[in-house]
Amino acid sequence: MTRVFITGAGIISPLGRGLEATLHALLHNVSGIAPVSLFGVSGPSPLPVGEAPLIPEESTLPRTHLLALAAAEEALAGHEGPVDAVCIGTSTGGMAVTETLLRDAVTDPSLYRHHSTGTVAAEVAQKFGCRGPLLTVSTACSSSAVAIAMAARMIQACTARMVLAGGADSLCRLTYYGFNSLQLLDPAGARPLDRDRRGMSVSEGAAMLLLEGGDSPPPGALAEVTGWGLSCDAYHPAAPRPDGGGAMQAMRSALEMAGIPPGGVDYVNLHGTGTVDNDQAEATAVRGIFGGHHPPLSSIKGATGHSLGAAGAIEAVASTLALKRGIIPANTGCAVPDQALGITPVLAPVERPLKTVLSNSFGFGGNNAALLFCAPEETRPPAAPVKPPVLRIIAAACATGAGGTESTMARIVSGSAAGIVPREALDSLLSPKEVRRLKRLPRISLALAQAVLQGSGTEGIFSVYYGTGWGALSETADFLGKLYESQEQFTSPTDFVGSVHNAPAGQIAIKYSAGGANLTFTGGDHTFEQALLALSLFGSPGPSLLIGADEYHEALMPLLQENHAAELPPSEGGGALIISAADRRQGPVIAPLYLGQTLSGTETLEDMALRLREMDAAARYGAVFAGIPRKHRECAGRQMAELRRMTGLSCPMMDYRERIGEHSSATACAAALAARLCTEGSIPGGIAGDEPVPLRGRGVLLLGLGENLSATEIMP
Amino acid sequence: MEALLQELKMKIIETLDLVDVTPDDIKEDDQLVGGDLGIDSIDVLELVMMIEKDYGVKIDNKELGAKVFSSLRTLAQHIKDNRA
Repeated sequence: MTRVFITGAGIISPLGRGLEATLHALLHNVSGIAPVSLFGVSGPSPLPVGEAPLIPEESTLPRTHLLALAAAEEALAGHEGPVDAVCIGTSTGGMAVTETLLRDAVTDPSLYRHHSTGTVAAEVAQKFGCRGPLLTVSTACSSSAVAIAMAARMIQACTARMVLAGGADSLCRLTYYGFNSLQLLDPAGARPLDRDRRGMSVSEGAAMLLLEGGDSPPPGALAEVTGWGLSCDAYHPAAPRPDGGGAMQAMRSALEMAGIPPGGVDYVNLHGTGTVDNDQAEATAVRGIFGGHHPPLSSIKGATGHSLGAAGAIEAVASTLALKRGIIPANTGCAVPDQALGITPVLAPVERPLKTVLSNSFGFGGNNAALLFCAPEETRPPAAPVKPPVLRIIAAACATGAGGTESTMARIVSGSAAGIVPREALDSLLSPKEVRRLKRLPRISLALAQAVLQGSGTEGIFSVYYGTGWGALSETADFLGKLYESQEQFTSPTDFVGSVHNAPAGQIAIKYSAGGANLTFTGGDHTFEQALLALSLFGSPGPSLLIGADEYHEALMPLLQENHAAELPPSEGGGALIISAADRRQGPVIAPLYLGQTLSGTETLEDMALRLREMDAAARYGAVFAGIPRKHRECAGRQMAELRRMTGLSCPMMDYRERIGEHSSATACAAALAARLCTEGSIPGGIAGDEPVPLRGRGVLLLGLGENLSATEIMP
Repeated sequence: MEALLQELKMKIIETLDLVDVTPDDIKEDDQLVGGDLGIDSIDVLELVMMIEKDYGVKIDNKELGAKVFSSLRTLAQHIKDNRA
């Protein structure tokens, strides 16, 4: 196993811009919290928030993107050449721009082009160069901690050698009013662990780490990522499990991976948002891990505020600085520690050499991540090698305009199944009570989960790997609609909780008690592929649900996605697979072969062709299901011709977006169909050419073309 | 007071989209949150918005909320005592 080192770091947060400013603030216990000034707000007085010192420049990019670029620039300073992957955690993406455009009823789609969460990584890749995949994690407030774990795992598994990983989120009305509607903003500013704490201070920022693999610390290594743990509470959409069980599981996994006992931890950087419930649950979890004698611990969110998707990365940089400089940051804002918590935070900065720091990040949907950072020592006992899992599909289901799997299968033989998922296809699988508060995307997602589980014969699922291009559009539109209709007086807390990208995956976890990793990837047409890559890297000790879903939203979709041109039928739906962890012999196997992009101008099509030649693609596959997004049709056509030339692929092809629709999760649907057809052993006539295609042991190759390139195989 | 209680029952069902619940199912003195009706903390905050909007009564912190939302009757009483 390759070790993972942090060789570069960059940060911009309410504490300042750059490592030096941040260290200075941490050493002197300076807070960056002040009343919101970025936008006008309703109410008697503007609430305290954390604003990052971003100097406004001539740019149409949203703040999230600018913050990410600023942090990336510092992390990559002095580094030459493109990185192998960019992995970013974000929850707001371009929301700060989008919400203003929607308020002003602007209808020019080109102005919404940076809305997608995936455009943050794309901007970074275009500016600094990237040879491989762009990955976007959206697991709410644990997003960037998960992104760092994902990047570290890629390096450990030798899928990449050098990855830029981190997170970015900007303040916007959606998060300000959203958390306010949940009564989670402390009017006095965040006071984590304080007896009188009343909530968080919502904030913004970005932080990036350059992660590099190696057997010993490269020159200039700042720290080493030695462990991580991912879990899900499977308890409530917005509140932590009071016994801290999920948080404990994440911390314990991180320590076990590194082979470090709880007593070896020198400092715990708490999630510590300052909400009554978080701090109580986290304190319980900390006591569970460390017993009566916990290491020094603090939350820096009283100083930085809670920057949501960026928080995990900001605190990873703070942890790196803590190790490098030998400092335990203070639990800023806490005057009188809450005795009932049974833990005592560090109230003033302490200068002391540190070797091991544990950092927690938890989010909506019960999403927990813990990261373990160590000083970069010359030698370290090797971690146990992890065998890449065989991902065997034990059930598959899809949803399209035709309905469920059987109806879709029947429809695509003679034409297109693209459209709006019919109501009865959802209602037949869901009880009215369980979906009372859920709108379109969580309903589609839960119905897919129910459909695929019904056919799987498995008891349940442990992990959820979820991809969605656009997330819950209905909840987002309704939240902002109500906000603006009422002159920013009223909002719906239910819609806010439902608007986070990982809300559907959280709902699935709650329904099926799935306590394992619960990862949501977002942005663009390759989110299913990202989720698949994550599953292939992290694996799962129990059965996993691999799922991709997107909803069509009448008002937002035409603004957001050029694929949905006026003349095209609206489309939505997705696909779901149950992947077994056990060594079974029955059922098709899915494997990610390639994930990359053409955005940063590198010769990635050749890389993909090379990978396919290695697989002996011409003989191995009986059919190609190609995803050709409409907006890249010309370029994708050329790419397909080139690929055929370079690989000798000559088998029949289905352009699956013509049959399934232009929505971002069409790939997930195509994968589910391919799994079914592999099991049946042949592809009926009318799908890939007019004639039936007998597979005779050959598989189906799923290709994603256009800006994002992907190759996935499904073998019988 | 009786009229307000009846009105609140309708508004709660409508605001929270409580399927399978009729006004008669909501008993004035029963526990409102966490009971058979399936109302949880997010629902309470949704009701907080509705009450501020429709009655001009603010319930802006959790301690107050816990008291006010203990039953339908306590909620009605709070609205009655505080509405403009």
